[in-house]
Amino acid sequence: MEPILWFGWFRADIIAEYAELFWRGLQMTIAVTLICIVQGTCLGLAIGMARVAEARHAPARQLCKYLLRWPSTVYVSFFRGTPLFVQILLIHFAVLPLFINPADGLLISGDTARSIKQNYGAFVSGIVALTLNAGAYISEIFRAGIQSIDKGQVEASRSLGMSFRRTMFHVVLPQAFRRMLPPLGNNAISLLKDSSLISAIGLAELAYAARTVAGAYSRYWEPYLTISLMYWMLTLGLAYGIKKLETRYGRGDSR
Amino acid sequence: MQLIHRIAASLGFVAIALGTAGSAQAQNKELIVGSSATYRPFAYESPTKEIVGYDVDIIKAVAQKAGLSIKIVNTPFTGIFAALNNGDVDLVISGVTINDKRKQSYDFTMPYFEARQLIAVPQTSTAKSLKDLAGKKIGVVTGSSGDDTASREFGKTNPDIRRFESTPVVIAELANSGLDAAIGDNGVIAFRVQEHKQLKTVNDPAFPKEYFGIVVKQGNKALLDKLNAGLAAIKADGSYAAIYKKWFQGDAPVLPAQ
Repeated sequence: MEPILWFGWFRADIIAEYAELFWRGLQMTIAVTLICIVQGTCLGLAIGMARVAEARHAPARQLCKYLLRWPSTVYVSFFRGTPLFVQILLIHFAVLPLFINPADGLLISGDTARSIKQNYGAFVSGIVALTLNAGAYISEIFRAGIQSIDKGQVEASRSLGMSFRRTMFHVVLPQAFRRMLPPLGNNAISLLKDSSLISAIGLAELAYAARTVAGAYSRYWEPYLTISLMYWMLTLGLAYGIKKLETRYGRGDSR
Repeated sequence: MQLIHRIAASLGFVAIALGTAGSAQAQNKELIVGSSATYRPFAYESPTKEIVGYDVDIIKAVAQKAGLSIKIVNTPFTGIFAALNNGDVDLVISGVTINDKRKQSYDFTMPYFEARQLIAVPQTSTAKSLKDLAGKKIGVVTGSSGDDTASREFGKTNPDIRRFESTPVVIAELANSGLDAAIGDNGVIAFRVQEHKQLKTVNDPAFPKEYFGIVVKQGNKALLDKLNAGLAAIKADGSYAAIYKKWFQGDAPVLPAQ
């Protein structure tokens, strides 16, 4: 391809040459982000509830402490306390090969494992790592949200005869969710940006496309500026969506 | 009064110290050498955090002959040319293959290593050549000659080409069955495959000979001439052959002068 210069310095032709890679990368980034937001939120809810779980009488009291609160605290501490990049490599090259391995996978082995690894290996590892990581952060948002609801709300609904479960899902969580939306939105934006780290294990998302172009041409402005704009557009879109949600759930708020 | 004296004295001392440092730098400026230390046996970090390898021995011998003072800095391969352009490093020796595309942007010394692309596959694979890898998942290092080879043969944006940061990662992915094959420089691929019993190498005779050269910023003729003179000197006095034998156990090939 002949060099095409925009504004005298921007080599548009090399981006055009790899347009397909950028396009597929964009789709992959969006897919990874959406899947991880949904999974991370579900996981975060479960872990967040586990962290505030309490029971009145033994042995349920002990079970709550040792089977729910402690493991979830350790989990959150580990995934918040280590770099995501390290978690991705650990999961891809060490943890998942234990479970999905043609030779002796604990979960899947043989040719199925081979084909999964070859076609979706990096995707699966990336999703798992990002979900586990997001789950840890989101669980803290849920915990804070739940704990921010006045104790009187729980007492009132309990005295009305609602079960703990109903109190949680019909009284506490709906109110907490409103307060959790801004930090959840923040988290979704972080997640979108963090998905770029998965390129380290060869997943063809946006950062991977840019790295490929930079590697082929030793030019950095064009590919990285291009994906910066693409990430920026995506985060703007996410922020807009969150804002809409906030307005929707904030209806009736006098504040 | 005494205080003023003291301040004056210390200022004078600082001025002298700066002056001597400045002139020393001008006489024998330490050159920063960029090398990506994930490229065993060409350049890698020893357990004592030193960067060692064939490339390192070569550049040290060349520097000694050329009277240059050098410092080797571990620079990731993906950003190594940017580091050269920005002036973060003065020269690069990192198993860089001399090719026409790179020659447009950088200057190369005469070759110091003869390389070829080599394919790594699982023992069970029946692939005999590059052509047999069509439709297979191929791992390469981003921007390497292996990347160029695979891109040329199967298309730059082919999703079956999987790009990674370094050869060890590519080989790990291959050993973990995440890939069908890997393409890379012979020296490194052969070395890495030894570590995995389930892998073997496939030598496609159609791959052309390639050469590694030391890279400098385009137009830095003064440094290029010194490096070439150093290379010629170590080839002439037998120290080049000794370094080659140390890392590759064979006799050094005769390299073209340009």
